[in-house]
Amino acid sequence: MPRLEKIEYKPISVRELFLEMKNLSELMIDLAYSAALFNDKELAEDVLELENRVDTLTYLLEMEIMIAARDAEDAEALAGVSKVASAADKISDAAADIAAIVTQNIGVHPIVSKVFERVEERLTRAKANEDSILIDKQIGELDLAARMGVDIIAICRNKDWIIDPKDTEPIKIEDILIARGAPSGVKEFKALVEGKLRKLED
Amino acid sequence: MSPKRRRTFEEIVERFVELKDTSELMMDLAYSSLLLNSKELAEDVQELEEHVDKLHTDFELLVLASGFKREEAKSFLGLIRLGVVTEKIADAAADIAEVVLRGIKPHPVLKLAIEEAEETVTYLQVTENSALVNKTLREVHIPEETGMWVLAIRRRGKYIRPKPRTKIESGDVLIASGYAEGEEDLKKLAST
Repeated sequence: MPRLEKIEYKPISVRELFLEMKNLSELMIDLAYSAALFNDKELAEDVLELENRVDTLTYLLEMEIMIAARDAEDAEALAGVSKVASAADKISDAAADIAAIVTQNIGVHPIVSKVFERVEERLTRAKANEDSILIDKQIGELDLAARMGVDIIAICRNKDWIIDPKDTEPIKIEDILIARGAPSGVKEFKALVEGKLRKLED
Repeated sequence: MSPKRRRTFEEIVERFVELKDTSELMMDLAYSSLLLNSKELAEDVQELEEHVDKLHTDFELLVLASGFKREEAKSFLGLIRLGVVTEKIADAAADIAEVVLRGIKPHPVLKLAIEEAEETVTYLQVTENSALVNKTLREVHIPEETGMWVLAIRRRGKYIRPKPRTKIESGDVLIASGYAEGEEDLKKLAST
């Protein structure tokens, strides 16, 4: 059971909150399916961590609404926002349910994973080792999509999540990188990040 | 494993992938409908929800009728749960779309969310002469060329979630968002 933090109000625009919720929900669901289908506990734990983040955002959103509502007309306008907050919460709960298939050792039939792997790209998670040749390189200059058909979709750095990192984002030691791609590319990528493969092939 | 059993599994996965893709697409579209204040997109989401309900029932029936062995029960439970979750996601997406369809009233807090969005949504049909036909999304670089982002592709009444290796066909309707000036560029790409 993770420790629950007290959530303090901070002014943040509703648009920003919506955008972050959208990005987080998408990432969580992607991670959760990969976790369940490929029985990956680490990915499942990432999902649960992201769920906490969504919880915090929904609290912040509700606070924005409460502060903004002064009369009946305001309430009418803002009820919809509250509905969105609860929908976002529902989505993140759903992702956590998928992750629970792994954490509760229910699992998905291995043949399903096998067939699934043929039709869908899988996600991988790798921690950047200090020996990795990717350290301090910008994502854009690595050209991973062209080289091995892999895209970095998120970085977890000091517990903060960067979703859809920009091309100019450098890779740092201890970064946890989440990437998507074909099985062979993903394997190569993981070896590069963990410093086990020291050469970037064209 | 017998070829028949293998086929059953393939069919189950096929249905599941469709369910998963559709529910994720709904979520993308629902949030986009909110951020762009687009009733059209919100209507697409509502339409997809009915489709998901049907897909989900078909999927559950298929899993239950697959004749799994006793010791496989647990891993089939995992499958059933995956299906339930896709349905939950679809419901949540429909909830968001409903807010848009009811009409969001202007309010200072929401103003920031809605009116600052200078982006629009556009629906464009790909003609047979278009340079996009038979190319994958990865090959055509639509965001780089036009600044528009393809949210979904409607093909023969079905919605497809765009992936880099999705191939564009003549007659496809591209549902894209982006700044208004990109719309003309995309229109040109889709027709010539």
